[in-house]
Amino acid sequence: MSEVRALIVDDSSVMRKIVERSLRQAGLESLVIFEAGSGIDGLEVLRSKTVDIILSDINMPLMDGLEFVRQIRSQRLAEGVPVVMITTESSEEHVKQAIEAGAMGYIRKPFTADQVKRRVLSLLTAA
Amino acid sequence: MLTLRDSLKVVADPRNLDESAREVFETMLGVPCSNQSDRALCDADQGMESVTAVVGFGGILSGACVFRCNALAARRIAECMTGMEFSAVDDIVKDGIGEICNMLAGTWKSKVPDLAANCGLSVPAVITGSDYRLHVQAPEFTVCRTYSFNNTYFEMTIICDGLH
Repeated sequence: MSEVRALIVDDSSVMRKIVERSLRQAGLESLVIFEAGSGIDGLEVLRSKTVDIILSDINMPLMDGLEFVRQIRSQRLAEGVPVVMITTESSEEHVKQAIEAGAMGYIRKPFTADQVKRRVLSLLTAA
Repeated sequence: MLTLRDSLKVVADPRNLDESAREVFETMLGVPCSNQSDRALCDADQGMESVTAVVGFGGILSGACVFRCNALAARRIAECMTGMEFSAVDDIVKDGIGEICNMLAGTWKSKVPDLAANCGLSVPAVITGSDYRLHVQAPEFTVCRTYSFNNTYFEMTIICDGLH
């Protein structure tokens, strides 16, 4: 797989670091990471950068992850780019809301690096 | 149809807390943690620097998940999460403790399907200092457990002030 550009959106810098580490452990040879601490900052990144995959938390202040995904789709930013929600919310209803908002994958916290790897690689391969 | 109040015994079962702590620590930090019955360990820390994180519950259950540990445990947790070394409780360590509390709260509430679907979480608040005590009203129930990991320990409390 050639260069992969990933956007990680989470209000926690520690979680962004953990997700980045998980992506690097996925064996992606050339990985470029963009980070955002909020949905609003995430939209700003997407207005100027192209990415291949987006990983976003749900519970964030100012703009939660679901609204972030709805805005990506309604503003036609990152068209066709898969979005994976990474979150502590685990009920079927939350997963359904995420899919309806436009997400294509869902990973529950706590997670292993292997879970991130499998989800991300399957979406990148399908894209 | 049973209400959450009818299922109080299930909701307040301390084994849910034990399973949640093990799951979060083993999955995210890659370290085992086990129940520590000697609460005096935490009491001995009074007056020393500690870190407390609080995540609120809202919805069919209102209350909070409180995570408390001393400065050494906080640094060790952050080191396990990030792979970095910390000589003090800085913003990254505090962020890490907030996230641990967030994951513990989310994992705990996922043990009861009604809670998973109908109870939300607040963003974490993190308090640091050496001379404070947390006082929270908990008319419904309180579950408090102490756990050890990597030669240190932490305390986790679920406080419920309302069930609907």
